[in-house]
Amino acid sequence: MDPQRHITVDEALPEGQGLAVAAAAAGHVNGHRPAAMRAEAFHAASERILTSINTVIDGKADAAKLALTVLLAQGHLLLEDVPGVGKTLLAKTLARTIDCSVSRIQFTPDLLPSDVTGVSIYNQASRLFEFRPGAVFANIVIGDEINRASAKTQSALLECMEEHQVTVDGDSYHLDEPFMVVATQNPIEMEGTYPLPEAQRDRFMARISMGYPDKDSEIEMLETHQATSPLANVSAVVTAADVAAMITTVQQVYVSQAVKEYTVAIGRATRESALLRLGASPRSLLQLLRAAKATAALEGRDFVLPDDVMGIAESVLAHRIILDRKAAGTGENPHSVIRGILAKIPVEQNVALSSARLAGQRGLDPGQTLRNPS
Amino acid sequence: MTMTPHRADTSAPALVLSPTDPGQGASRRVGPYPWAMAAAVAVAVSGAAMSLNGVLGGWAWYMPAVTTVIVVVTAMALLRRVRAQPLLVAAGGFISLILILTFTFFRRNSIAGFIPSGETTDMLGQYVRRATETVLAESAPVAPNVGIVLVTCAVLGLVVILVDALAVPLGMPATSGLGLIAVLVVPAMIKPQSVGLLAFIITAVGYLMIVGCSQWFSANRLQLGAGRNPGQFKRAAMTGGVALLATLLLQPLIPGFDRGTFPQGSRLNPWGSSSGLNPLISLGNSLRSPTGEGRITYASTATSPLYLRLVTVDRFDGETWAPDNRDDTRRGGVARLDPGHEINATDTTRSITSINTGQFTSPYLPVPYAPAGVNGLDGSWSWDPSTLSIKGVDANSHSQQYVVVSAMPTLTADLLARSSARVRGISDDFIRPPEGVPDIVRTTADTITRESNTSYSKALAIQRYLRSAEFTYSLESPVQGGYDGDGLSVLADFLAQKSGFCIHYASAMAIMARLEGIPSRIAVGYAPGRPTGKTVSLAGQGALPEYEVDARDAHAWPELYFEGLGWVPFEPTPSRGFLPAYATESSASGGASTNQNNDDLIPSGAASGAPLPSTAPVPLPGGGAGGVAGSQLLPVLYGALGILLLGLLLASPRLIRSGLRSRRLRPGSVASDDTALQSWAELRDLAIDYGVPPRPSETPRHFSARLRRSGALGEEDGRDGAAHRAVNSLVQDFERREYGRPLRAQAALEGSRPGGTPASIAAARIELIIAALRANARRLVKFRASWLPPAVMNRWQSTLGTPFRAVSRHVAAWRRAAARTLIRTRDGLRRVREG
Repeated sequence: MDPQRHITVDEALPEGQGLAVAAAAAGHVNGHRPAAMRAEAFHAASERILTSINTVIDGKADAAKLALTVLLAQGHLLLEDVPGVGKTLLAKTLARTIDCSVSRIQFTPDLLPSDVTGVSIYNQASRLFEFRPGAVFANIVIGDEINRASAKTQSALLECMEEHQVTVDGDSYHLDEPFMVVATQNPIEMEGTYPLPEAQRDRFMARISMGYPDKDSEIEMLETHQATSPLANVSAVVTAADVAAMITTVQQVYVSQAVKEYTVAIGRATRESALLRLGASPRSLLQLLRAAKATAALEGRDFVLPDDVMGIAESVLAHRIILDRKAAGTGENPHSVIRGILAKIPVEQNVALSSARLAGQRGLDPGQTLRNPS
Repeated sequence: MTMTPHRADTSAPALVLSPTDPGQGASRRVGPYPWAMAAAVAVAVSGAAMSLNGVLGGWAWYMPAVTTVIVVVTAMALLRRVRAQPLLVAAGGFISLILILTFTFFRRNSIAGFIPSGETTDMLGQYVRRATETVLAESAPVAPNVGIVLVTCAVLGLVVILVDALAVPLGMPATSGLGLIAVLVVPAMIKPQSVGLLAFIITAVGYLMIVGCSQWFSANRLQLGAGRNPGQFKRAAMTGGVALLATLLLQPLIPGFDRGTFPQGSRLNPWGSSSGLNPLISLGNSLRSPTGEGRITYASTATSPLYLRLVTVDRFDGETWAPDNRDDTRRGGVARLDPGHEINATDTTRSITSINTGQFTSPYLPVPYAPAGVNGLDGSWSWDPSTLSIKGVDANSHSQQYVVVSAMPTLTADLLARSSARVRGISDDFIRPPEGVPDIVRTTADTITRESNTSYSKALAIQRYLRSAEFTYSLESPVQGGYDGDGLSVLADFLAQKSGFCIHYASAMAIMARLEGIPSRIAVGYAPGRPTGKTVSLAGQGALPEYEVDARDAHAWPELYFEGLGWVPFEPTPSRGFLPAYATESSASGGASTNQNNDDLIPSGAASGAPLPSTAPVPLPGGGAGGVAGSQLLPVLYGALGILLLGLLLASPRLIRSGLRSRRLRPGSVASDDTALQSWAELRDLAIDYGVPPRPSETPRHFSARLRRSGALGEEDGRDGAAHRAVNSLVQDFERREYGRPLRAQAALEGSRPGGTPASIAAARIELIIAALRANARRLVKFRASWLPPAVMNRWQSTLGTPFRAVSRHVAAWRRAAARTLIRTRDGLRRVREG
């Protein structure tokens, strides 16, 4: 492989997309780590993003906040719901509020992996192979109806998601930071589709079900969104560099031993639960804690509370666990199981507290209690 | 008591995520642990076994016992060293116990010297029968025969396994003391000097070693060490103090502790004043008691010092003598008593005695012999025609005041010497010599009476022998020599050692007299007492000097029967009581002067009415004023003490709760960075008290939100807004302390509060919250929170339940382990069969 080609690739890229080769360490924009943002600036930036999303999508503040949380936690988001509730709109709005590159892939059964990742083309003028970056080379990638693509195309995207890099013809190309995939999926009309297998669902940090808006929001939507596309009014409120700095801030959020233990307790409880065939993976716990850090930062704290973990756990874990057949038969669903588990895990407080000791005794052996949920 | 903190720490929250079984912990990090534990158990059990000296005679049995203990302990340590399952370790202990017992006791009747065979079982049955006979027939100290030593060794081995099982796999080292107490309780009950200091100290050291080992090698020692707090020594001292106080205060309140079938407890009772159904048993203890208890006062017209007699013992068979009540021949009504045998004497000495028993409690009535009539008693009483002992039917001697008329033939040496007629008309019980009299008694009796020909001279010879300089009066030497008590073997020991107290002298004389053909019995009661300095006015008799006796005057003396004269008391005990004129030999140098101790106390001329200063004639039979005052004061004292204790008990939850609160909030009592934790704990407890208990799966934030929503704090935007804000601040401080960055959290906490120390701010917040809670709670809830705070009560409940929970948990674990082993064995067998 000659060094010439790399230079060519760099030149061929659109400006503002510093495509780095594998030598550059992951997590760094253009080779240096962005400085963390101050708390006030962080708060203001996040407020701006959320406000502009909420002007577009009525009554979905929670979903918007979760989407931002996932972005700041460097995860990927899976939006799953029936058609027409604003999945794509949410993804596009989020992308628009940030001044960064966005690409959108509409997944179809005939979409090829190279359409996603890019392809090397022989340039007759320069008589060299040139790498044409695919749609995935963007800060925010919106993958619409991901379950309609064939398995190999999905796989190609999933490699990018996990490793933040693209490998074509043996050469690896790093993706920009921040990098986030927002995929949407339609749970009905499953004929002729390729639903994401568990292993691939595991790569999404969180899954959001949008749900229908409530009555007032729906009426307001009918009024405001009648004439123009709401997206037209949205302009970028933060830059990509701001987002990178926010991500660095999130990474510096402190996690105490107690919170780590609580997180691990949740993971172990899902694995030991009799209701579940598959519990949470270690990766999911890692992502759970990252999401919790982002939540804490969004609330203006520099340390994680068990509340943060508890609040985000359902979104992060529900799509990764698989119910036991019997449990599914009794009307349980992943969300209810996770809620049940959270309700049983004691939140341990300092050993010095004698009253906490009592609580600890009562809640001893979480595995055992969870095996027989009430 | 020491157990509680350990259990609580084992189940401390930090460990919930990785619950560690102490047994697993032990096997994970073996090293010196099994050996240290084995040594501790061996020391403790061997020490406890030492206390059995005195229950078993001598020390010969100790070697096999220690060997057994060491072998069992070593076997279990070895198994634990190779990381065997706890169940297997216990099983190994059992097997090693069987092997060592076989090796020690059945070497000839077993396979290869240590494997039990059918023959061993036969021998075992034989030994166990022998041990049973020993237990039933002999009194302590028993001769260490094979049977009893075998049983002792087996029990000690089982105790080792029990102690080990409690300390290691069950993880309750403090409870292992139960096994040691099981051993110690035997000498405590049987031996008059109880366990013995050395044995107790060694046992205690061993026990502390067990507790220390399990703490030191505990799998989670680091966490325990981190949790050590500075108040633990103070708490330990307080626990010890409370235990000591409870021991002293509670035992007089427990009914039956010092009387009835368990009179040994009376040794502990500093205020007690009773003797059980068998006065012989408590005689030695009464004599040794440092304080005079059971004070009886009396005044009498009798010219000679007065013996108060309670009861007689006339059957000397078996190892323990007891009064024979003859319930079927007793007669009711004690106004007139009839001796039931013929009295030919011409002169009769009559005397009138007024007695006040005060606190003395016994079913028998102390009366001077021979009572002819008793007046002034409460309750109904019965008397035995053959012994004239008076026993209550539905009454006892407590607080009785009565007048006894006694009649005795006027005895002279001359009269007694002439009474040589054959004995007629009394029960064979008093004549028949006991079976199985030791040879030494018989030969001694024959030797000393060789030159005597009449009953009287024989009696005098025996008395002279016992009062000779060869014998010394000692309360302690029978205890040290192991022959305290009564019984024929004790008598043999006494004659060999020539040292003992009244019961030994009395029984020696009574039995020797019977061997020589003189009917005899032992009278139990009180020797003549001391004048109190007061006088008692007795109707028709004028003022009489008052005397008192108490437990230290308890006495036993022989009564010998002379035909035509009746029962005649003798005094073989040197330096005690009073030697009557008829029993004094004219040639003997002894006489009344031998009892030097009592000489000055005995009212030698009392009947003449020593003109003691008399204040006013006390009404009949008016006891000592001090005694009455004392007996009235005591119940009042007890009552006051009881009410005080009850009040303290009722108030204790409140006191503990407020003590806890002030300790948490006192500035400077805790490290400043702990203020957030302490005030948070207080907030949780307050919520528990007012009916909003935190749930284990709740985060601080959820909990506080629920507390504020519950209405216990009142309206948020009303006048209780400050309390709501206080709760929020406490939650934030706690979150920062508990989950925040360690260093910065502290700095932020201290930096952001210029208006006071963190502790005072927290205290002020808690005050606000308490005020709001009280203002919004219903009356019942308020009362409960003040006097029976659930925060304290729940903790007590859980502490009380801890042992039960632990046991049930371990039982379940063992059952699972047993099931697993069974399945594995079955599978293994199946594989072997198939393959």
